[in-house]
Amino acid sequence: MIRIPPAQRRIVAVALLVAALIAWWFSGYAGQDRIGEIAIAAIFAMSLDLLVGYGGMVSLGHALFFGLGAYALAGLTIFLKWPPSAALPVAILLTGLVALVIGRLIIHLGGVFFIMVTLAFGQMGWAWFARDKIFGGIGGLSGLPQLDLSILDADLANPADFALLALAVATLVSLALARLVSSPFGAVISALHRNENRARALGCPVQHYKLAVFTIAAMLAALAGTLQAQRTGFVSPDLLVWTSSGEVLIMVIIGGLGSLLGPIVGAALWTLLHHYLSALTPYWMAIMGAFFIAIVLFAGEGLYGALARLTRSRRHV
Amino acid sequence: MFKAEGLYKSFGALEVAKGISLELPRGARHAIVGPNGSGKTTLFNLLSGELQPDAGHVFIDGRDVTSLPPDARARAGLTRSFQKNNLFPDLTVLESLAVAVAIGIGGGTIFWRPFARSTESHRRAAEIAERIRLTPYLDAVAGTLPYGTQRQLEIGLALAIEPKILLLDEPTAGMSADETAEMAKLIGDLPDELALLVIEHDMEIVFDFARRITVLDYGSVLAEGTPAEIRASQEVRRRYLGEAAR
Repeated sequence: MIRIPPAQRRIVAVALLVAALIAWWFSGYAGQDRIGEIAIAAIFAMSLDLLVGYGGMVSLGHALFFGLGAYALAGLTIFLKWPPSAALPVAILLTGLVALVIGRLIIHLGGVFFIMVTLAFGQMGWAWFARDKIFGGIGGLSGLPQLDLSILDADLANPADFALLALAVATLVSLALARLVSSPFGAVISALHRNENRARALGCPVQHYKLAVFTIAAMLAALAGTLQAQRTGFVSPDLLVWTSSGEVLIMVIIGGLGSLLGPIVGAALWTLLHHYLSALTPYWMAIMGAFFIAIVLFAGEGLYGALARLTRSRRHV
Repeated sequence: MFKAEGLYKSFGALEVAKGISLELPRGARHAIVGPNGSGKTTLFNLLSGELQPDAGHVFIDGRDVTSLPPDARARAGLTRSFQKNNLFPDLTVLESLAVAVAIGIGGGTIFWRPFARSTESHRRAAEIAERIRLTPYLDAVAGTLPYGTQRQLEIGLALAIEPKILLLDEPTAGMSADETAEMAKLIGDLPDELALLVIEHDMEIVFDFARRITVLDYGSVLAEGTPAEIRASQEVRRRYLGEAAR
């Protein structure tokens, strides 16, 4: 966990939001769509940061819940004809239930075993939807209806409106998570991440806490997934493929584990680099790889950790 | 209040506990002594639930807790300190104690209120810091404290959950003479109603605080009795006490 005084945290958070709004103001259609995409990636990355950075559970299958949220929304709206407003929360709850069941099975596993099992569950999900006929198999399924926001005079088909909605949701998620990690619950979570054995000796029902974190993280990933399905109107197995789990983990590591705000920056950087580099050169992955290695080597705690170190050293002067 | 009956444990051919029984009434001051490898820490692990015995039972308040894991035993009132410091190294003393209090009162289920200095947990944490003489170090990061001070915090964490039975594993291990004296005072000041079981090599400390002593040897009880009885025992003198009792 990266420690930074609350006042500075708030400055960084406000600066990020203002930067996003300025970018939104000056962007065209494509740019605003990109902002919506970044906001979704940021929610996804924050949810993984809760799991990895605070809970100490490294998952390589987090995209499973991102994808399940999207598929549940698609199923409820397309096949059951539910209105998106009702289908959204139910899709998130359903994903939470799946996470609860999976978590119950795997939460006691430590370290590399947990990583491998989450990877396996993620790939099972991918394989299921790739074979499945109802949801269109590998080709996916399009035609998801969008949330009707005409009371707010907004239309989600318009990237400008969608970006604002996604930014608002991302802001709420970041506020809620900041509150969660600074609560007694958050303190216990980070204590058992630091020293699980000691927390257990003190009477902490470690697995209940870890299961709670796993489920909350999965539901927030599902929230991001439903937003993604709303943005594109489309679901496909690509949503839950393991490289997607890997990418979001990279966003979190670039930004700084256990900082919540860092992963937002990681999400923005990754999304932008991905789009602009891949347009410039077919070797963009190699450049991203070098960038990632540089961050890990020279800023071990990610960009946010580097910032924290910078402000610390300045205070010593 | 606390009872262990016929605890037996072997690792393959190595029998590390051969039918150990032990009883701690309320307010007990009980020491376990014995040469290295006599099975003291194994016994602690059996009592605290980190190891499961092959045979025998452990009771807390008459309830059989033999099959319960360490966290459930802690909730039933038994906790321990560790031979090697086992702290939350990057938390401050106050934060460490406060989170231990929160774990103890089940306060970790509160997720909507900030865990600020004003909470009940922090108030109690400050009281515990006073008891373990760490008030001057409240805002010091645990991992940066001197070794002896970390040993004090080690005990403070265990006290934070207000246990009925406290197991201390070599509280003075590796300490200087001054630190040992400080620790002896701290042990002397522990709450009267607490049942205390201590593994200790320093016989001066043992004879100072203990009202009962169990001598372990090769996984079985060589002798048990009051300090005077243990001092007087020829067997114990020959096998273990040596210089200290003369």
